[in-house]
Amino acid sequence: MAAGDSRFIHIDETKCLGCRSCEMACGLSRKTLNLFTAVLQGQQIEPRITVVQSSSGLKVVQCRQCEDALCVKRCPAGALYHQNGIVTLDEESCIGCRLCTRVCPYGAIRMTTAAVPASQAKPVKCDLCVNRSGRIDSNAYACVQACPVGALTVVSKQ
Amino acid sequence: MNQNKSCDPCVNDMLVQAKQNHIETAWDRYEQQLPQCGFGQLGVCCRVCWKGPCRVNPLGNGPQRGICGADAHTIVARNLIRGIASGTAAHSDHGRHMAKTLLEMSEGEAPDYAVKDQKKLADIAAKLNITAEGKELKELLREIALTTLADFSRQDESIPCTWLEKTIPESRLKKLIQLGIAPHNIDAAVADIMARTHVGTDADPVNLLLSGLRSSLADYTGMALATELSDALFGTPEPVVTAANLGVLKEECINIAVGGHNPLLSEFICDMALELHDEAVQAGAAGGINVVGVCCTGNEVLMRRGIPLATNYLSQELPILTGALDAMVVDVQCIMPSLGKLTECFHTRLITTMNNCKIPGATHVEFHTQTAKESSREIVRLAIEAYKCRNQDKVNIPQQSSTVIGGFSAEAVVAALSTLDAADPLKPLLDHIVNGNIQGVALFAGCNTPKVMQDHAYLTIAKELAQKNVLLLATGCGAGAFAKAGFMTMEATDKFAGDSLKAVLRAIGESAGLNGPLPLVLHMGSCVDNTRAVSLAVALANKIGVDIDQLPVVASAPECMSEKAVAIGTWAVALGIPTHLGVIPQVMGSSAVVDVLTEKVKDLTGGYFMVETDPVQAAQKLYEAIQARRKLLGI
Repeated sequence: MAAGDSRFIHIDETKCLGCRSCEMACGLSRKTLNLFTAVLQGQQIEPRITVVQSSSGLKVVQCRQCEDALCVKRCPAGALYHQNGIVTLDEESCIGCRLCTRVCPYGAIRMTTAAVPASQAKPVKCDLCVNRSGRIDSNAYACVQACPVGALTVVSKQ
Repeated sequence: MNQNKSCDPCVNDMLVQAKQNHIETAWDRYEQQLPQCGFGQLGVCCRVCWKGPCRVNPLGNGPQRGICGADAHTIVARNLIRGIASGTAAHSDHGRHMAKTLLEMSEGEAPDYAVKDQKKLADIAAKLNITAEGKELKELLREIALTTLADFSRQDESIPCTWLEKTIPESRLKKLIQLGIAPHNIDAAVADIMARTHVGTDADPVNLLLSGLRSSLADYTGMALATELSDALFGTPEPVVTAANLGVLKEECINIAVGGHNPLLSEFICDMALELHDEAVQAGAAGGINVVGVCCTGNEVLMRRGIPLATNYLSQELPILTGALDAMVVDVQCIMPSLGKLTECFHTRLITTMNNCKIPGATHVEFHTQTAKESSREIVRLAIEAYKCRNQDKVNIPQQSSTVIGGFSAEAVVAALSTLDAADPLKPLLDHIVNGNIQGVALFAGCNTPKVMQDHAYLTIAKELAQKNVLLLATGCGAGAFAKAGFMTMEATDKFAGDSLKAVLRAIGESAGLNGPLPLVLHMGSCVDNTRAVSLAVALANKIGVDIDQLPVVASAPECMSEKAVAIGTWAVALGIPTHLGVIPQVMGSSAVVDVLTEKVKDLTGGYFMVETDPVQAAQKLYEAIQARRKLLGI
């Protein structure tokens, strides 16, 4: 399936119950592992979506694929760019400066928690499961599928 | 499109019809529940106190402790043993009901009950060191009841439960006492778990799990006494030929399904079905009343009376969908609340009978042992009334049913063996185990779950093990799976048993006058009757002077689901039996708990859990466990 149109994940926070199933599903789908294997192997996962509690209630933090994206504008290496409307990270160009994590107004980009030298740490953000060849992964939108209350939906910008 | 939901063709057919008619079943609701919460699946969600709910994140940098500081190991262990406590409470409540009925009989307050098996009563008395000689029946019943009820009330922690002490090998009892896990009081074992899992109490996962083992042995105790007392009251099962699957429903009859677990009521429903035959005929049912079983009450009446089994746990909604079921009479445990809603769409009357099991949508006829016949008459008459509302045009009964040779209580097995060697009935069985004609014994127990194809793992593992000459026993909804699939027949023995097993089963069967081999899988009863298999194993162990953990005996629960199954699996491990689970238990969030249950417990009890979701692999692992034991025995 090609990512021919631009899309984003709509989050209805009024429905969210905070079970964090989306986090677990996202992290596992990226590792293409099932839950039990990951636990038995002691694997860490890196979800591209997080649920946080704010003073005004539950917030689901995930890249909103902004059209006027500060992260894209400020990236000194040009590693963040729009591809078919998706804010995409080119890890090879990324210099690991962390600027994107600071400028995102939603806090939707964070650095990896994997045990790598600080100089090699890269940002982690939702890329709508589009891989480098511009195609949507076969196990895409695990977060949407995992949500037991239907708080997440894939929406086309068109 | 439902082809892969079950191995049972009736189920698959009925599910297609359910879909066409927009009727929801357990399989639909399972799909609606997907994806299931990973925290719950791992057992790392804690709801013990209202500071929570808390859960630890086993996959990353999330919280590793709940608010109180409990880590994954504490949380998983607490959750697990609370399940064991619930299972223990359920089984032992059933047992208590039996014991109290005996007491009521001794006081003349349960006039409808009688002791159908005097020999069994005498055997029980002997087992409990109660002198039967010279005593009137009422006096004997009272003594047995009070001795049994003492297992629910004893406060001296140094004295183990009598029904535990008297039904396991001495060496096993000694081991359990040394480990501090021999329960002195069934109810206290349950209460202990509820106390120690209260917020801020026991946080040591090993200590928690030991109390789980103790409770599981209380579960065993409650089950053992429930089965034995039921046998005395209603008869010890003997081989009986009947049938299983939805085809046992009869269009020309008033069909009553008995479901749940407790034979105290269902026995009377069976009697009343005969007594009210004429009323049924007058109502237009030419065939009278046809009682069928569902789940474990079904197994109880199958074993003792040859009542056919309609289906097992997961498909309990489907008899109603045939449009031919006039009443579903339920007692306790494993009764889907969905039945209440489902009967809104059919003429079927759902009748609940126990004070602790009411279901919205059901008619409640409270059953009391003091008025057993009267209650049963009222219930059967409700079925007759419901029959008058049946729309015959909507009746659609699948035609499939399989022959079942059931009724293999431990006594029935010994009786069959005694036709080979009257003086020493266990000798032929032992000889065959020693010489390898029978490699070992596997007990299938447990439930159904929509997480896997219904019945598939039971049948697959059984075929694999039978081929390798392992003697197969089954109880509960596992027995239901085998019954429906025709595995409790002579033909199945001819088809699936390995050569030496086939020869042994044939020799025993023919000597016992069955005109053919014993069935491939021996039906030992309902899930509460798992202790029948233990009593057989204990008899073998005692005969050759070994403990249970030395015998080439394994257990398998391929579709375990209920808390009772968790308790049963745990006591099997506590008694020294390698025990397979075919569904991933909700403990994987704690490496420490997994390690104890699958490895460290071996050093304590000799038993252990093995988890394997692939049935072929599971069969291999069970066979290897059998071989390991044979090797240690030098056979």
